[in-house]
Amino acid sequence: MILRGAPILSVGWLILITIVAVGAPVLAPLDPQQPLGPPLSYPAQASFLGTDSLGRDLLSRLIFGTRFSLSIALLASAITISVGTLFGLTAAVFPGLFDRIMLWASNTLLAIPGLLLAMLVVARTGTGLASVVFAIGIGGIPGFLRLSRALFIQIRSQAFISSAVALGGSKLWIARFHILPNAGPRYISISTIHIAWAFLGATSLTFLGFAGDPSIPEWGSMLNTGRSFLNQAPHLAILPGFAISATIMAIQSLGRWISHISDPLDAGWRSSQSGNRNR
Amino acid sequence: MVPLPYRPSIRAVKLMDNRGAKAISKKMLDGIFTVFAAVSVVFFSLRLAAGDPLEILLSQGLATRAQIEELRVALGLDRPLFSQYLDFLRSLLRGDLGKSLYTGRPVISLIKEQYPQTIELAFSALLFAIGLGLVLGVAGAILKQSHIGKIAEFIANVGISLPVSFTGILALFLWLQALHWATLEALLLSLKDLLLPALILGFASAGALAKVVQSGLAGSLREPYMLAARARGIRPRWRFIWHALRPSLPPVLSIAALEAAFLFSGTVITETVFARPGLGRMLVNAILQGDYAIVQGIVVLAAALYVFTQALSEILSIILDPRLARQQ
Repeated sequence: MILRGAPILSVGWLILITIVAVGAPVLAPLDPQQPLGPPLSYPAQASFLGTDSLGRDLLSRLIFGTRFSLSIALLASAITISVGTLFGLTAAVFPGLFDRIMLWASNTLLAIPGLLLAMLVVARTGTGLASVVFAIGIGGIPGFLRLSRALFIQIRSQAFISSAVALGGSKLWIARFHILPNAGPRYISISTIHIAWAFLGATSLTFLGFAGDPSIPEWGSMLNTGRSFLNQAPHLAILPGFAISATIMAIQSLGRWISHISDPLDAGWRSSQSGNRNR
Repeated sequence: MVPLPYRPSIRAVKLMDNRGAKAISKKMLDGIFTVFAAVSVVFFSLRLAAGDPLEILLSQGLATRAQIEELRVALGLDRPLFSQYLDFLRSLLRGDLGKSLYTGRPVISLIKEQYPQTIELAFSALLFAIGLGLVLGVAGAILKQSHIGKIAEFIANVGISLPVSFTGILALFLWLQALHWATLEALLLSLKDLLLPALILGFASAGALAKVVQSGLAGSLREPYMLAARARGIRPRWRFIWHALRPSLPPVLSIAALEAAFLFSGTVITETVFARPGLGRMLVNAILQGDYAIVQGIVVLAAALYVFTQALSEILSIILDPRLARQQ
């Protein structure tokens, strides 16, 4: 019923926002940075979705915001996933001291909540979009490392790896041609779900005002500036908030769907363990 | 001497055997080490990276060059990093977290000032989360085939996914709309401070808990011992609580412990949305000002809470399911 259509809806939404992000300059009716109409107008008054407190067109800001929010989340995930996979795979291939160090380091860093870890990075680099990317990218590493390590170790403990070792396969060869391909769908699933957390984390940091310049049309910052006008113009906060929530739910539902079709018995809750502490 | 008569009640009180106690004491040692390591990571990462916190004071025109040099000596920042580190650890053992760069007040008393607000919110959110999480998880597991079960699962997923910034703002918006309804005004005004944020925060935590309850229950309901319990004629309700629910609780406890540690170390976003004072707001302000002493203090607290709640959940898990001690 409701849940059967979820993956299709999610993929539809993700395709839509990707198109919007790529084609933002063509699709946006007005300049997102220039005040063009009266401030705080309702939808369909001055423009299609109304204007914000400085008279800028909300629709254009939302459209350009897709670019910023998506690229921050994707860049941050790229950092997390590449570093996490590299260390996780190495830990699985070298089960001795290196693995112990990796496990210990990630467990230690997990004692600090993810958002707090990200905020520590911002504390050193200062505010700005680049530091949000780094903060979320670095803040996610311990959790992702632990998940990917567990996955790779589970594959390593299977019989075909032992036979690959017996055939004289080098560590690198086993990692590249045996462990990584066999991690396949589940690896894609944990990475997808991680992107949803990165998106949530990034919009949380920008919501807290760590994006620096508030004129940048980014969904989290828009949510933050919009909430001051909840009484006069609620759509200013509710629309970006809805866009953020829909994107997170879409990415997550996609990840869960991948994990479900590839591994129907594992209910997939393990991936939520590393999850949402952005409160 | 007459031997003491065998008293079964003592055996019932003895909750775990030696192996359990050993596993727990090892966890405690690990935990202390984890706090130490996390604190060290934070200490060095806040100092080794570029930027002198006192230069920020200068650039903001809050102090003169001479005042800054004076402050540097007073705070011990002129000495080598390693001796600062030893000093920091020594004062940490005494329960001293240093002084704020801006106000000069001890961090510990700043935390103490804000902490009641955080505890109040965290405790009520946690209670609500555990209650809702159990209900949703149990409904999702035993009514899996029906619409109710699917809806419970959906609500749990929504709880996990939706950002608190959005649900909080939505709740605040509805609250503002209801405020026009004058008869309820007094009641509504009293809700905003604690109940509303606690519900929003608890809803988000409940999702994660419900997931674990559900998958644990789904597993234990399939176990052969459930059939055996049924064959022995144990009543359905008792069978469910004692045989199915109890062994599925340890993972729930560990997630609940994570949530608790997280909630009690300050919920930045909820506090921002609802304009509540608390540790989270203090942390954001400290980061924006570059007051690393406060940041450090809050991280110490968060790490200690994490370790403490994890240890607590391990102990309770071993009491609930003694097999766990043997697996370690």
